[in-house]
Parts: sequence; structure tokens; C-alpha cells
Amino acid sequence: MLIRLLWTSILMGSVLAAAANNQQRHNRTMQGKPDLNGIWQALNTANWDLQEHAARAGLITSLEAAVAEPGGLGAVEGDEIPYLPAALKKKQQNFETRLTADPEIKCYLPGVPRATYMPYPFQIVQTSDVILIAYEFAGAARTIYMKNPPESPADSWMGHSVGHWEGPTLVVDVTSFNDQTWFDRAGNFHSDALHVVERYTPLGHDALDYEATIEDPKVFSRPWKISMPLYRRLEKNAQLLEFKCVEFVEELMYGDYRKKVNK
Amino acid sequence: MNIRTAGVLVFAGIGLVLGAATALAHHAFSAEFDASKPVKLRGKVTKVEWINPHAWIHIDVEDSDGKVISWMVEAGTPNTLFRRGFSKNSLPLGTEIVVDGYQAKDGSNRANGRDLTFPDGRKLFIGTPGTGAPYDEKK
Amino acid sequence: MNPRNLIPVCVVIALYLAPAAAGQDAPSPKTSSSRHWSMPRTPDGQPDLQGIWTNGTITPFERPRDLAGKPYFTQEEAAEYEKRVLDQNNRDRRGKNAEEDVAGAYNEFWFDRGTKVVSTLRTALVIDPPDGRVPALTPEAQKAAASRDAISRRLPEGPEDMDLPVRCLLWPTAGPPMLPSAYNNNYRILQVRGYVVMLIEMIHDVRIIPLDGRPHLSANGRQWLGDPRGHWEGDTLVVDTTNFTNKTHFRGADENLHLVERFKRTGPNTILYQFTVDDPTAFTKSWTGEVPFTRSTAPMFEYACHEGNYSMVNMLRGARAQEKAEALKKETK
Repeated sequence: MLIRLLWTSILMGSVLAAAANNQQRHNRTMQGKPDLNGIWQALNTANWDLQEHAARAGLITSLEAAVAEPGGLGAVEGDEIPYLPAALKKKQQNFETRLTADPEIKCYLPGVPRATYMPYPFQIVQTSDVILIAYEFAGAARTIYMKNPPESPADSWMGHSVGHWEGPTLVVDVTSFNDQTWFDRAGNFHSDALHVVERYTPLGHDALDYEATIEDPKVFSRPWKISMPLYRRLEKNAQLLEFKCVEFVEELMYGDYRKKVNK
Repeated sequence: MNIRTAGVLVFAGIGLVLGAATALAHHAFSAEFDASKPVKLRGKVTKVEWINPHAWIHIDVEDSDGKVISWMVEAGTPNTLFRRGFSKNSLPLGTEIVVDGYQAKDGSNRANGRDLTFPDGRKLFIGTPGTGAPYDEKK
Repeated sequence: MNPRNLIPVCVVIALYLAPAAAGQDAPSPKTSSSRHWSMPRTPDGQPDLQGIWTNGTITPFERPRDLAGKPYFTQEEAAEYEKRVLDQNNRDRRGKNAEEDVAGAYNEFWFDRGTKVVSTLRTALVIDPPDGRVPALTPEAQKAAASRDAISRRLPEGPEDMDLPVRCLLWPTAGPPMLPSAYNNNYRILQVRGYVVMLIEMIHDVRIIPLDGRPHLSANGRQWLGDPRGHWEGDTLVVDTTNFTNKTHFRGADENLHLVERFKRTGPNTILYQFTVDDPTAFTKSWTGEVPFTRSTAPMFEYACHEGNYSMVNMLRGARAQEKAEALKKETK
């Protein structure tokens, strides 16, 4: 009995100490808002295909299993992406031509929400006026205006983001997209009427619950929603590294215009 | 790398205050466009790409036989204009503009918009679009 | 309580003027620091550098030869210089000949270089050596620079022959050091626990500067913008950046570039930015530059570059067309 009491008090002590430690790790900002600062990353196959899918062969036969597409549970609630009939044809066409048509291949900015679930880390820099998110892929970045958002003068790749807090949740309303990005490598796409509402809610100290509602009346018959956890990168001295892939795609994009060397 | 440093004062044509002034001469508009092929185009705007690094204005030009030729005109960074209060609505489709520039070296129907004006001679994007140019600090 | 908070403003101004000493008389700077301004601080107690800033200026990078021996303008000289340079740079002025005209690119309303000399009235951004000019390159660096120069003078054979901004890889506004350019000279600085973060408009680069004293990346970790580490020395943010690649060659630098930048808030609307270039394999001695950053009330916008880089294809096609034309001319001779 005494030993049981001893173990219980040790356990309780650890739990209390951990809780205190969490507090010391500042999971609330000075303004009492949840603190989303840190380096985060998704751990799923959403960038391959937002919907549930089995593994499939890759498209570069010389690289075999290294580029095979892994299976994955989908991130789409209900697993259905409600395309309008003409748009569904376009999606299928995208899928069939994805080896050349996916904008990721050319190191183009990935847009929102794809930037969130590309398999690379991103860093949230949260102040009360703006929240900056810096993504590793292509050095993409976006500014979420929390106060006095300016007007958006034109369409952009990463959209125009305006945020506010709803209790523990950061809600971000994103508009002003161009029609150039895809949602994943499977060819899911949108028009310039895209409207995304993201929700970031802490799940304890080291995870976030991420949801995004996607609406685009030119492409989908109704809004649809994705959700997934985002995990904090816990390595000591974790940092984003540059992923400036523009240099890597120059030959692909401009090689045809190179001076031909005559033998 | 940068040998010529008095470039800012002397060479007004490429008078850029940069960390690599001579190097940017290589964006050469002179690499893209042909100094021996000046063009003066008058046409209606059919599309404006408000993009970086250069905005592109597409116009339809009617030649003397009434044939319509589409041209693509290269311009500057739109961000500068956005900060002066302009937006994608500032050059409505169908607006008639005059482009004084040079044709692409490869002979395609592309030109640099060296001087962009309305038919009456007023420069495009001069003055505020009615917002009082809140961001214009060059008073 | 932090004794730094009690330093009167006049001492701050004196410290600000100190780098100008170098045996020259410095005129009073055009800053508007009021007697009542005190350094704003973040909740962590650090000087608050946050906001949108711009460093556009018409002050040349190096002191022009015809201003040798003259480290500062007087107010009148500055006004005259501004007028002259703005007039000369005005792109609504057409070129004297067709070549110059094409190179002028487009109307003045697309540009935003800044309209003023730096508020310190210095005649160049380079402040050390005292002649305001970048020290000589080492023989090896000179050779490398000469071969790069030769490439930039001939028709481009491929994208790698173009300059970094044209390739949409890196602009001088990002550097580092972060230097003004023809337009979009805008920066947003944010501070959160353990980091100072700088968003640079062109090309949406983000410098995430840890303040926790962690070591730099290993020698294998080379980055276009290097690998920055920051710490505070009094009220000055000192950023130490190493791990550059051999692809940027800032003013002739190589991958051994060690850059030390200093950011000091000097008033409600100014940050004085200084950078020291230390690269003994490339430069015969270290050198320092300075450019004030002033607060901007205008927003920053996305500068997606590569995604819309039609000009790259056009330039290469133009080069191939020119080669073809020249080859034809030779054949018909």
C-alpha cells in the first residue's frame, strides 16, 4: 500500500512537473492567445493525393520504387471532392498528365493549403499584428494580417490572408488566388474564385489540428473540407533550410533555348 | 565584379542604384528587344497580367488592312503601382493605349513598353486612381 | 531594472554619430529624433525593430571619383545632387540613341529607387575604407570576377549566364547584405521569442535569425543567403552570417564570406543598418557599408518571380536569333 502511494505521488509529481514545464515552454503568448510559434510539419500523403488512395507505380520507370506513390488515408472529410462535371474531366486530365503538368515540378509557389502539407517543415512567426508563415519549399512565404489588413490589389500564388482568433483557434480567410496551383500531385485543382478558410487549433504543446474548408463555385458544387494534424519539429536546434529549387528546374524549362554546341 | 562605379551619374540610361549595377544591364532589355526595330502600336487592351518580375499588357492592334494582330507588351513590376494605389482594375479591358517600344529580337509580336500612353498623350498610371495615393511618400 | 533605459537621448545620438568620426566633420544628420523619443522594447526587453521598412536611396554604393575626398554632402549639395540624379535617372527621358533607349526599359512610374540621399548625408554607402570604395580584390578573386564579367558581356548561352535577379534566384535587396535596388526595397521585421525574422519583398525571402546562441550549420550547409545567427550587443542587433555558396559573389566575394550586420534603432522611423564584409580570400581587407532603413506606411506585396519569368525564354530566344542573324551575315560576306 505504501509503495503504491509512493509510486502515485511520484507519478503525480511528474505530471505536475510536466505541466509546469509546459507552462514554462510558453504555450500562451503575452496577450493570452495560443502560441503557434515554432516549426511544424504534416506527416501524411496529402501532397501525393488528398483523397484516400492505394499505392501506385511511379511515372519515372528508371527510378522504380524510389518514386512509387505511397498509399494513404485521405485528408478529405467524406473522401469526396465534389467537382462540377466539366471540372471533373479537367481533374482526370490533370491526373493523366501530372508528370509534366503539376506546377510543383517547376518549383512554382504551392499555394494554400498545399504549402501546409508538402512534406517539408514550415515556421510560424506569430505576433499580434501579423503572423508570417515561412515554408521551406521554394522559400514560399505568406503574411496573415491580424489587424488592419490592406486591400489585395491583384491575384497571387499564396493568396491574401486575413486572420482572427476564435477562442483557441486561429481562423485564416484566404482569397485573391490565381488559378495556377494544384492541391496535390493527383491533379486536384481550382480556379481564381478559390476561397479557403483555415483553422489552426493547438492539440497540446507539440501538435496542431489543421482544417481547411475549400470553396470554389467555378469548380466545385459545394464547399469541402480537409483536416490533418501538424506536428512540431522537436529536434534541438531545428531550423528551416533553404529549398531554392528554381535553379534545379532551369534545364527543364529553358534547356531548349540553350546555345547548341556544334561538333 | 562591378568595375564601373560612376555608372549612376554618367550612364543615365542604366542609372540604377544596385549592388551590381553593371550586372543588371544584362537584363537586358537589349538582350530581349531589338534597338533596330522600333514599334509604335495603338490597340485595345485584351488582357493584363499583373505579375512579377514584369507585368505584361496584351493588346489587339488593327493594321491598315483591318487585320487584328495581338501583341504582348512587357512592363515593370506591378508592386510599385500597387503601392501607389493602383490595382488589377486600373487598366480596364478595351482601353485603348499607345505603346512606343521595340520589337522582340526573335521577331515575335512582343515589345517592351518603353513609353506607355493614352491616345491623348497622357502617360498611363500617372497620378492617383482616386484614392488620394495614401502610400505615396514622394511628396 | 535595466540601466540602458536611463541613457539620455543625447548619448544615443552621440553613439550614432560615432562611426562618422574617422577624422571628418560630420554634419548633423537629417533624423528627426525628438528629445522625448525613447527606445521602444518588445515584451522580452529587446529594442523593437518591428514594422515595414524601406532602404531606397539615390546615394551611390561607392563614392564617385568626382567626389573623392568628400565623405559628406552639405544640405545644399545633397539637394542639388538629388535633383540632378533624379533628373538623369528619370526613365521618362528617352535615350540618346536606340540602344540606350531600349536599355531604359520602361516609364519612370514603374520604378521606386527612393528620391533622397541617405539621411546621414554620406556620399556613398561604403563607409570604410574612408575613401568610400570597395578594397581591391585578391588576385584570385580578380581572375574569377574577370571571367564572370566576360560571360556577362557576351550573348547568354544558357540561363546560368544570366544574373541572379534575372534568373529569379536572388536580388540585392535580399543579399545579404540587404541593399537598395531599382524598386520594391521593402522589408518586414518581426520579433518573437528567440528569433528576429525579416521578410524581404524580392524574392519573398525570409531570414530567420535565431538568438539562442546555437552554432552555425556545418561547413556542408551552404545557402544562398548564408546562415545567420543573431545576438544583442546593448541595443544593437548583431547578425553574424556564414555558410555562403560560391554562387553569389557579392562585389567579388567568394564562399568564405563572413558578413556581420548591425541593426540599431535610432529614432521612431529609422534603423541604422551597417554591414562589414570579411572575406580575406577575396578582398585585400575588410570593408563596411551603411544604409539607413526608414519606416514605410505602404504594404508589401507578393513578388512571385520565377512563376512569371517569360523574359528568360524571350532573352534566350533573342540571343539565338541574334546568333543566327550574325551567322547568316558571315555566310553572305
